[in-house]
Order: sequence, then C-alpha cells, then structure tokens
Amino acid sequence: MSARASRSMPAAAPLKQTLPAWLLSPGLPREGLGLSTWLLPAGLVLLLTITTRDFLQWQNLANVAAQVTALLLVSLGQLPVVLVGGIDLSVASVISLTGALMATLPNPWAALAAAIAAALATGLVNGLAIVRLGLHPLVMTLATMTVLQGLCLLLLPVPGGSLPAAVLMLADARPLGVAPALPICLGCALLLGLVLRHTRSGLHLYAVGAAPRAAALNGLSTSRSTVGAYVVCSLFGVLAGLYLSARIGTADPSMGAAYALDSVTAVVLGGAALSGGVGSVRGVLSGALCLGLLTNGLNLWGVSPFMRGALTGLLLLLAVGLQRGKAAH
Amino acid sequence: MRSSPVQALCPMPPRGIEVLGISKRFGATQALDDVSLQARGGSIHAVTGENGAGKSTLMKLMAGLFMPDRGALRLNGQTLQLGSPAAAQAAGISTVFQELSVLPTLTVAENMMLGHEPRRFGLLDRRAMRARARSVLDRIGLALHEDTLATELSVAQQQMVEIAKGVSREAQVFIFDEPTAALEQAEVHKLGQLLQQLKAAGKVVFYISHRLDEIFRFCDEVTVLKDGRLVRTQSTASLTQNQLVSLMVGRTLSTLFPPRREKTAGHVATLALAVQQLITHAGAAPVQLRLRQGEIVGLAGLEGQGQRDVIRALAGLQPPVASQILRCARDGSSAVYDPGQGVAIAMAQGIALVPEDRKAEGLCLGLPVDDNVWLGLLHGRALAARAPRHAGLVQNLMQRLRLRGSVQGQPVASLSGGNQQKVLLGRWLAAGIDTLLIEQPTRGVDIGAKSEIYALLREFCAQGGAVLLTSSELPELIGLCDRLLVMRGGAIVGELPAAGATEEAVLRLAMTNSTIHEVSGHDGVAVEAGA
Repeated sequence: MSARASRSMPAAAPLKQTLPAWLLSPGLPREGLGLSTWLLPAGLVLLLTITTRDFLQWQNLANVAAQVTALLLVSLGQLPVVLVGGIDLSVASVISLTGALMATLPNPWAALAAAIAAALATGLVNGLAIVRLGLHPLVMTLATMTVLQGLCLLLLPVPGGSLPAAVLMLADARPLGVAPALPICLGCALLLGLVLRHTRSGLHLYAVGAAPRAAALNGLSTSRSTVGAYVVCSLFGVLAGLYLSARIGTADPSMGAAYALDSVTAVVLGGAALSGGVGSVRGVLSGALCLGLLTNGLNLWGVSPFMRGALTGLLLLLAVGLQRGKAAH
Repeated sequence: MRSSPVQALCPMPPRGIEVLGISKRFGATQALDDVSLQARGGSIHAVTGENGAGKSTLMKLMAGLFMPDRGALRLNGQTLQLGSPAAAQAAGISTVFQELSVLPTLTVAENMMLGHEPRRFGLLDRRAMRARARSVLDRIGLALHEDTLATELSVAQQQMVEIAKGVSREAQVFIFDEPTAALEQAEVHKLGQLLQQLKAAGKVVFYISHRLDEIFRFCDEVTVLKDGRLVRTQSTASLTQNQLVSLMVGRTLSTLFPPRREKTAGHVATLALAVQQLITHAGAAPVQLRLRQGEIVGLAGLEGQGQRDVIRALAGLQPPVASQILRCARDGSSAVYDPGQGVAIAMAQGIALVPEDRKAEGLCLGLPVDDNVWLGLLHGRALAARAPRHAGLVQNLMQRLRLRGSVQGQPVASLSGGNQQKVLLGRWLAAGIDTLLIEQPTRGVDIGAKSEIYALLREFCAQGGAVLLTSSELPELIGLCDRLLVMRGGAIVGELPAAGATEEAVLRLAMTNSTIHEVSGHDGVAVEAGA
C-alpha cells in the first residue's frame, strides 16, 4: 500500500551476492543450515576419493551427476511441501505416470499436456483435501500415490515404449559434455531459492509451516500456501519423470517408486524440519548430493544394491532423530 | 461499502467504533445477544465479565474470525464487513490475541510486516521492511532489534511486537485479549505505557481482562457482559472494584470465600501430612511442615521461592533428595510416605496433585467429563481388571460440582477454565483422595467459578481432607487458607494464620528477614521461624 512511497533505494542488496557467497553464507535459522550441510558432502567426496580408485573417473562423476539430477528435481519439489509441514509421497507416482504417458500417447505434446494436467490435478486434490478436509498428508498422499500407481500400471503394465527425441535429449550428454537436464535442474534450484527467499509467497510458506494458526491470524491464507506447495511438488514430479525416462531410454511404470522416501530423506538431510517452517534450497542441494554420493559409494564398494534402501531408511531416521534431539535442548 | 447516502448527510461521523445490536450463536449457545457499545478514539475501553460472558466472542468478531448473525460494526461511521482476519486488518483493526500470533522462525521485522510486506519489482524489499520496522520500534520506544528472531523474545516482548505490528499497519482500533495473563509486573507497567501512547495517538483501545486492578489502572470505560448480554457500560471513575464485581456476578468480594472452619478449643486435629524433612534438590534448604486434616494451608511468598518445588516433590513428580514424611489417612491408618517413588505411589497413599497447567498435566482434553472423572476411580486396578463405569457416582459428583448435565458428554477441551478445574478436582474427590496438593487453584478461572471452587475445597476439608496449595494471588491465599507458610529462597521463613492476615504482613515476611519479629509482636500472630 504505502510501501512503495518514498522508495528510491538501489536494488535489494542480497540479490547482488555472488553464487559462491550465497552458497556459503550461514543463512537464517529457519533455513536449517548447519556445519553438516557443507561438511557432510565434502566428507563423503573425500572418503570416496580415498577408498575407491574409480570415484574421480569422468565416467563415474557423470554417473553421480545424473543420479543427483533426478533426485534433486524431486527433492526441490518436496521442499515447499515439507516447509508447510506436509509430506508428498504421491510425487513418486507422478514420476512414473509421466513416463508412462510419454511412452504410450502417440503425440508428444498431448502426452506432455496430459502429464502436466495429471500433476496439477494431483497437487490440487492433495492440497485441498489436506486443507479443507483436514486429512493427514501421509494418509492423503499415500492414497493418491496408490491411485496414480494403479492408473500408471493400467496404462503401461511392463517397462517399454519409445520416447520422443526431444525428451531423450534431456539426458544426452553428447553435444554439451553434460546432460541438458543438469543446468535445467540447477536453474530450477536457483528459481526456487529466489522464490523462498525474496518473495511474499516464500515468506508465507515459512510462516504457514511454522505456525499455521498464527499465520491465519495474521491474515495469511494457509490454504493458498499449502495447495501451492503440493502443486509445485507435483510439477517437479513431471520434470523428474521426463528426465528419468530419458535416462533409461524408455518408460518404466515403477521408476518413481523409490523417490518418495528418497526425496524426503534428502530434504531432511538438508536440515528441513518435518514439522514445517524450516528448510532451504541450499540444504536440499546438500542433502541430494549426499544421498547421490552415498549411492555411488555403495556401488563402488560393491555393496548389494538392496542395502541401499535399508540405508536410506536408516539415514532418514538418523537425520530426524538428530533434529529432534537438537530441538529438545 | 465505504459511505452510504445517509452518512453523507451527517457532517461529523462519530470517531471510534460502534457495535450495533450484535448477536452470535454457536450451536445451542447464544454467545452474544443483542450487544451494543461505543468506544471513542483516544480512550481505553475495558470489556469484562465472567468466562463465557461473550467478551472473547465479541473481540473475535471485531478481529474478523467470524461474522455476526445479526447486527453491525461501524468504524468512524462506516459499516464494516469483516469476514476474515485479513479484512479486519485492512479495515484498521489490530488484535493482540491471547494465543500470540507471532511467528517464531521469523524476525521481528518480518513479523511486523507479515501480510503487508513492502515489495519492489514483485520481490520482497527487505531493506524497506527493516527500515519501516525500525522506525515503528523507535516511535513506540521498544528496545528491540528488527533482525532478532521471534523465538528469542520473551512473551512480553512478543506482545510488544504484536502492538508494533498494529502500529506499523496504522491500525485505528487495538484489541488486547487478556494481555497480562503471562506478564511480570515490570512488563505490565511497560504495556501500560504503550496503552497510554496509543490512547494519546487517538486510537480506540479495547482491553479485555478479568484483572480488576488493571481495569481501574488503565481503562477509562468498562463494559460488563454477562451470559452474552450487555450489563452496562460505565466510566471506571464512577465505579469501585466491589461495584464492578457485583455487576459481573451479582455478588460482592466479601462473599467470595467460604467461612473458615470453626476452631474448637482443646480439640487437636489429626495430622494429615507430617513432613519432618524434605530436601527438594541438592543444595536446597530442608523444609519442615505439618498439614492437619480439615485445614487448608497456603505456601505464600514471592514467585519462585520454592513453593512449586515443595508441592511437586510431595506429589511425587520431582523425586526429592531426601525426605522423611508420615501421612495419616482419614480412616486413621498411617504410614511412612516416600514421594521419591513416584506419582502412582503418591495416589495409592491418598495424595494427589492439581497442577497449574491443567490442560497439559491434568486433564485428558479430548475425553468427556465423565471419562476424566472416571480415570481417578480406576487407579490402582490391574490393567486387565474390569472397569465398572460408576455412572451414578459420576452423575452425583457432577451435580455437586454444579456441572450441568449437558456438558457431561462434551470433551473437556470445550469447557471453560473454571469447569475444567472443577472436573480435575472432581476426579480426586471421586477417587477418595485424602490430601490435595494444588498449584494456582483458580488460574484462568472466572469469579463465579472461583467461589464455587473455594466452597468445594472447604467442603472437602470439612470431611477430613487436607489441602496444601500455592497461589500467586495473595488475596486468594489470605481469603481461602487457614494458615499461611511463607517461603523465601526455598525455605519456610514464617507462619501466620490467614484470618486477619494482611497482604502487607505476608509480603514483609516474604521479602525481609528482619521483620519476622515485628510480625510476631502482633496480637494473635504466631511465627515459627523455619530452618
């Protein structure tokens, strides 16, 4: 209202920070960053460099990058949901469904439109049911996850189908040296970081997550923030679905399944609180990187791939447990 | 919405807020019934009444939390349509809610600007945000930094931030809902100064409180509500405290407390609890006290002088370092009581606690009244034992507690503070407890329910029960108890009969060593210096 009066100041100072400075600045407590945000991935890199011969090979690093890209896309979507105190499991099925649609519908544009429409609908239904009906996010998104997974299997019972060339491009490293998905993914991270830090919607996400009732008393719309978060998460699911199917070269009706828990783990490893109101893009970058490095390490150390799931679960428990411990003191 | 033709004819619309015939019904309860009042700009207007009188409903209507069924609100002559908190804020009404709406992970500046953040090219203008917050903080004289996180603020400071938020929105109307419930004296003083500033700036200030002294200290006018209806609006200058209380409840202060037990000469009452020694924690002074059957003993003193530790240790909640206690039941049996064994043993020995925070530590909020009472009856049974409902007993008790039949099945969370306290007391009465330990017997309880609770405690004592309690309200201790034990620095430093005790005498004991003898010189005041 009267905010714009008497303003002739230079552009907002924080925007002028350089990228490395931004990555390393300590941030606000609601961003949940700590020493571990930087030390954990750095330590893993060091550990892998020392204990394995192949880690620093170009081929292996490209592999890590590819893995982290997929996880990062999903985790970036999961972040706003966790910020408002929710959790979105259904993003896993959105990923699978996107792949299935791309592989089965003849017209790529129609397929993309269908995938986006499905994602929008999922996000809206999730958000509205949680806000209006008061369903617990775990229950609601578990239900939508199961429904979508069923539809996805109906569409594509077994892995297969061919993808449009434009989608396959996403994971093709040949022309540029890196897959185009990586810069796209980092661009998304920057954009989301900007939104969370420098827009009203971002501030309101933090406020609604920290204390929904207090936020409502301040005149904020808790439903708008919450529904928005779930919609954003589903849309990131579409991106991740496109990229993942491009990586495999075909569609797999269960390729998203592991990403529900993985994305939550990455977000929590990055310092976000499952109770809401705490978290940041930088944290998610760190969390996704850690999980990717760990997966790669298990590979290189020759540990059974089935151990990975067990370890991810333990890691999530550990991260949440440490957070609770810290909060108790 | 802004101006109607009729108002255009009126040359000088009244400055201030008008409530015109507002009614609001929740289910079977008529929360507000045709209430009208006027508050001028530049005045502080108290709204008071017992719990459930409708004052919070009235304020929540003004804050936009819900719409009235009938009636209208007018601000400076213009009718307001408030359907949401955002609409109320836009209309210039700022509310400091009892449950604070400060967001813990946001900074002071962010909290103040929340919902009306300055923007530049669509992005948050943090610099402007901080500058504006700074200027408001300076203007109202708050020594807070705008970048401080709200978690680091005390409750009082959070309230100040709420006020600053209203000032930064250039609100016309400020509503304070029980603002001093959690404040210390010095902070209440600071709040008083801020109220005066708002008044001087021509704002309309509503002040909702049960605290009579604050109503008279801060406010120019007072509106009394009872059962959702307007009793009267009157200037505080033309009222005395007793008149105000009789407006609220139709009874005067002197009848608030039930008569004490008659002392019969020569008759020595049986002990209920003989605490030879109790050391609550390492380094604490040993405490010695006797509690007789049929008496109410108050632990007096300034706040935080160990009263709470003694109560909690005796209740089995905080294991003491050392204890030597004998307890005697009403049936004549006696036994050594070791509070270090925990709450379950304490209850088995007939000793129970009514905690200060009854919502978190006393009641099961989601359960109905009868189940909450019933819990007390089941104590000591094996887990798989049949649990008889004792429906008749509970029914009976509810009548004694004057809890209406309609509330029996309601979750206790929906009851008023007074009724919740009665349910908690009722649980222990039903369980046949001998000794009640009570922290703040009437915190958050309205005056009508207060006198009922006092009468209930007296009745319990008349049947041979014993009560040891603490309270931060001195008049309550003096009016309710038989004896007062004054504590200072964790030790009992004096004792005096409550009958005839003055607040001054208790405070002198509580604050200084040297006055013990002076007090003991008074007629009929026995002092027994503690260890």
